[in-house]
Amino acid sequence: MEQKFNTDLITNFGSDKMLADLTFAEMESGWDCGGGTYKITQEEVEKFAKLMGDSNTGAENVPVGMIYIFGLRICWDRRVFIDQAVRAGDKITFHKPAKIGDTITTKLSIADKKEVTKEKDGKVRVTKFLYVNMSATNQDGEKITDIVMSFLLPRTMK
Amino acid sequence: MDIASINVGDTLPSKTISVDQQLINDYADICGDYNTLHVDVEAMKSNEMFGGSTIAHGTINVEPVMQAICAIQGKTWPAEGTTIELQFRAPVKPGMTISSNLVVKEKTDNSLVCDMQIQDQDGNACARGSAEIIVP
Repeated sequence: MEQKFNTDLITNFGSDKMLADLTFAEMESGWDCGGGTYKITQEEVEKFAKLMGDSNTGAENVPVGMIYIFGLRICWDRRVFIDQAVRAGDKITFHKPAKIGDTITTKLSIADKKEVTKEKDGKVRVTKFLYVNMSATNQDGEKITDIVMSFLLPRTMK
Repeated sequence: MDIASINVGDTLPSKTISVDQQLINDYADICGDYNTLHVDVEAMKSNEMFGGSTIAHGTINVEPVMQAICAIQGKTWPAEGTTIELQFRAPVKPGMTISSNLVVKEKTDNSLVCDMQIQDQDGNACARGSAEIIVP
């Protein structure tokens, strides 16, 4: 498909070493995965509200579902989505509303990791989970949302 | 909605979204996530894991429940401190209609704690979890 995403709306920042470059042992709580910014324009807000049929929006308010729009592309650019990892779930905490014209800064960091060991038919299976915090603040430093994304890591992960 | 009129066991008003490939493509154009899984209809025809279909961005699954929470609060944005916790259960594919299903499990002076399911048109869970809806 022809890609119409407006890359002028976003930036990203962080070190050259990204989450996808780490081994499981190196994935420590608090590890900084970098982040980026997203500028909320009237045009994107109108497109999103129409697409999702969101009638809850006000004059300067942003449709609630856009909380994910702020950070999704940044997660790809910062390689937070590891190849073959499966998105297992989310925990979202809402703070202040985002407004049209805001520049949202998303910061990505490792929240936690977990290994679950199960024994079945004499075979031991270890399942690895990773939790990444995606926090969004506006240009005044006010918190907008915290989203903890959980991932089931691939079995081949070292 | 007046929290006083809501009781434990009540099902809260639901929001529904019909997902087709156009919606997924338009979503990709807004968020910039063009993963093959979502937008490459031809390539996904040979993908056995998802039965030859594309799947919606997981974040689209959450859309009905976020809208439902705003509608319950009568606000454009969930009140400060509101939380949603969910696990994805099954992919959402083009042709599916997904709805929020929130059932009040606990009520306090300023919040509703709900069991939550996001389900397809046949009632199968696409995501499951809980929500604590702050009603100031």
